[in-house]
Amino acid sequence: MRFPILCILCALGLTSASVHATAGKPSATGAIRGRVDIHVERSLRDSRADAAALGMGGSRDPQERRRSVVYLETAPRAAFEQNEEHRGRMDQRNERFVPHVLAIVAGTYVDFPNGDNTYHNVFSLSKTKDFNLGRYAAGRSKAVRFERPGVVRVFCDIHSHMSAFILVFAHRFFAVTDEEGRYRIEGVPPGTYTVVLWNETVHGDSPRRTITIGENGGDTDADFSIK
Amino acid sequence: MCTWRRLAAILLLASACATPARAQITVSGDATATIGSRDDIAFFNYTDYEHNALRMFRVALSGMWRPSERLAFLTELRSENAEHLVPRALYVRVHPFKGRTFDVQAGRIPPVFGAFARRSYGADANPLIGYPLAYQYLTSLRPDAIPGSADDLLFMRARGWQSSFPVGITTPGPGVPIVSAYRWDTGVEAHAAAGHLDGSIALTTGTLANPRVDDDNGGRQIAGRVGWTPAVGLVLGASASRGEFLTRAIGDTYAPLLGRKTYAQRALGADAEYSRDYFLIRGEFIESSWNLPALNLPRIDGPLKARAGFVEGRYRLTPRFFAAARIDRLTFSKIRGQRFFAGAPTPWDAPVRRMEAGGGVYLMRNLVSRVVVQRNKRDAGRVTRRTFVSAQLSYWF
Repeated sequence: MRFPILCILCALGLTSASVHATAGKPSATGAIRGRVDIHVERSLRDSRADAAALGMGGSRDPQERRRSVVYLETAPRAAFEQNEEHRGRMDQRNERFVPHVLAIVAGTYVDFPNGDNTYHNVFSLSKTKDFNLGRYAAGRSKAVRFERPGVVRVFCDIHSHMSAFILVFAHRFFAVTDEEGRYRIEGVPPGTYTVVLWNETVHGDSPRRTITIGENGGDTDADFSIK
Repeated sequence: MCTWRRLAAILLLASACATPARAQITVSGDATATIGSRDDIAFFNYTDYEHNALRMFRVALSGMWRPSERLAFLTELRSENAEHLVPRALYVRVHPFKGRTFDVQAGRIPPVFGAFARRSYGADANPLIGYPLAYQYLTSLRPDAIPGSADDLLFMRARGWQSSFPVGITTPGPGVPIVSAYRWDTGVEAHAAAGHLDGSIALTTGTLANPRVDDDNGGRQIAGRVGWTPAVGLVLGASASRGEFLTRAIGDTYAPLLGRKTYAQRALGADAEYSRDYFLIRGEFIESSWNLPALNLPRIDGPLKARAGFVEGRYRLTPRFFAAARIDRLTFSKIRGQRFFAGAPTPWDAPVRRMEAGGGVYLMRNLVSRVVVQRNKRDAGRVTRRTFVSAQLSYWF
């Protein structure tokens, strides 16, 4: 997990100088689209083997381990010049964080509403952002602002099987894959970019592709495969 | 074949008919290293495995194999001080009705009595290092040896770590706590929940004080707990149990003589937990009584009772740091001897008070370091007061 975090942090530390986008000249923007195929078996370690429990517990939805985030390693300068306030949401539902993977722009507030009829205690000890929201009941929500880019692992202090990822970017050029692994990054100015894939099952080098958006914009394909 | 084994076999066969799902194997474990000062005189923190709870290296490995949605096999192997590997848990879990919270477990199973012994996750499991007195402190009673008179029992006050009696096995050995949190019993249990209520009932081989794998007296223990969650964050529980305590050798010898057929441990318990925001408060009260044969004068009249209660709290100061404290008390009913205390009513074992406070830091999500100070006061024994400082590093995956 460390390498992807470093990748994101290093990548976001670069300036737009490494991007061959044409500055100051109005031109059409393009989109990067593609599909991420994951051939990795679903992790078997979905939760701890709790020998002290008196039963199976309630049935839970499987973790969305197939969700990936595709992002530009470097982004056009204009991407950093936004001052809008964003808001994200990560539910606690049926003893799961929903969504399991959330991608946001730095400065975004994320709400953590509790939709279960039991306490949850959302916390993170990640270097990017450490926080502890304490225990709160159904119907209540607390929010956290994520200022720094990086990967934040989120857990529940009460339920060991609950975990999620929040990827914080300094720019808006990223997308979370849908149920079928498809993604689309819109509004990318012409230039040559490195597109990187993040998935929690990838350890070591993150898959990446170099693509070019032409002066006329249009769609550019970049597919990934994780084995 | 005994009852619970028959039941386990039936449940297994029934589960074989269940719709097979994708088999799932889950493995987890923890390693805990605790460093503290020695306790070779007062033995305040000795467990029924004769280890010091404040000076121990423990490794536990848990596994669950779930061949179908309705069936799971679970085990937990533990080793203390690298001496031996003990299967603390080894049982089959059957979930017969999809969509309903009803489970049956058979084998070496988690206890249903009380709340402390089933805690399992992170710093919440035990916010401190020491165990509550009810679940750890060794009284002088033994299932395989009994006092001949009240004086024999009074002579063993504060010597639960190595008690000896003239009847039964006469070699010195450790006594029993009210409830053992270090060993689990063997049998079958059922658990159900609906709305704000949940209930568990278990039929096992041993007793709360002396959980067993093999039967040593032909008797069974029945234990149960009812839990009520009137509001989110508040859990109230009531427990009860009754089980044959003395070994067959003692029971068979003295039952005909004294006309009593059973020598049981009976216990009642109440537990409560309330948590909100950054704090968590828990408390438990347990009263246990043991019937022993009254052999010689001065006789032990009536059941021997022990009462224990504790209140503990934990507060999360920051995402990484927390503080915790526990107040604990263990008392005993009074008996009259002749040689000791001039025949005055005296607690049959020495009452103990314990205070423990400390703090911890999450170095990682699954790596917790704790430091505690524990102060003990006992009304008798070679050493009546001892303060221990202990540090612990605990890792789980």
